[in-house]
Amino acid sequence: MTDCTECGADVVLPDDLEVGEIVDCDTCGTELEVLETAPPSLDRAPELAEDWGE
Amino acid sequence: MRVGILYSRIRQDEKLLLGELRERGHDVEKIDVRKHGFGLDGTDASLADCDLVVDRCLATSRSVHLSEVCETYGVPVVNSADTAAVCANKAKTSLALADSGVPTPETTVAFTPESALEAIEAFGYPCVLKPVVGSWGRLMAKVESESAAEAILEHKDTLGHYEHSVFYVQEHVEKPGRDVRVLAADGEPIAAMTRSGDHWLTNAAKGGDVDPLAVDDELAEIVADASDAVGGGLLGVDLMERGGGGGYTVHEVNHTVEFKALNEAVDVDVPAAVVDWLETSAAESTPEVTA
Repeated sequence: MTDCTECGADVVLPDDLEVGEIVDCDTCGTELEVLETAPPSLDRAPELAEDWGE
Repeated sequence: MRVGILYSRIRQDEKLLLGELRERGHDVEKIDVRKHGFGLDGTDASLADCDLVVDRCLATSRSVHLSEVCETYGVPVVNSADTAAVCANKAKTSLALADSGVPTPETTVAFTPESALEAIEAFGYPCVLKPVVGSWGRLMAKVESESAAEAILEHKDTLGHYEHSVFYVQEHVEKPGRDVRVLAADGEPIAAMTRSGDHWLTNAAKGGDVDPLAVDDELAEIVADASDAVGGGLLGVDLMERGGGGGYTVHEVNHTVEFKALNEAVDVDVPAAVVDWLETSAAESTPEVTA
């Protein structure tokens, strides 16, 4: 668990956390990018870009 | 083998892939493409000693450029730069499919609102207006009247990126409330599903319900042909079924294919099948590394 960079609430993290993964803050809804896993470090994720997709 | 994963965001699809690769003991190098520069003859990214690089870039622009960069460095990459270039652009995809005789919806590309309106009128209503670059069903328009067409064209022309002035007009195919996604590796189907919904867009990303689909000979043949038409590789081939026994028509081929929804819908272990194919691809590659 770590803090949301936007609202400070606790963010629950999966056991298999990956750098580059996006997790949602259940409190404020912000998408957070995982910068580090040990210890976990989060930052606000980039906004959706027009050419994103598959 | 040593596998490079080009990424800028790790989705569930990449986690499935990473998990399978690591479970098999492969050496995985995650390469966040935002953190590196890519020169004409080399890079600080750890590409050079990879047996295979897998392009999982979320951004189409990065995917297209970096697959080209890898090939220039002599690093084997999936998918190929040619495949990425064709699949990244719907107009190129349509041309490639039609050129190979693969059934695909009737399409016209126009470059001004006036000529686009003429194309729309020629198709009749409803027809479909799509961006040439884009995914997840975004910015698609089902055009149902002349006044709607005029408004959409004016908005695209005025507000959009320059690529929105490439007007990609397509017939509206009356499908039976679903479309079909087939994941294929060099034309060989791995698994397939239908995506159903009440909305005219039935993408899984739009919330369509997914169900497994058995691939019959007809579907397998058209998927193989579509794969060949765009240059092969690991692809998500999207098809619609025309009413009245009109058969399948291929409307899209995806080159950085997402498969988490498919993996949940079918009994096949999709990440395992993908890694099987990656292992084969790496074994068949003969890298000539210069990076």
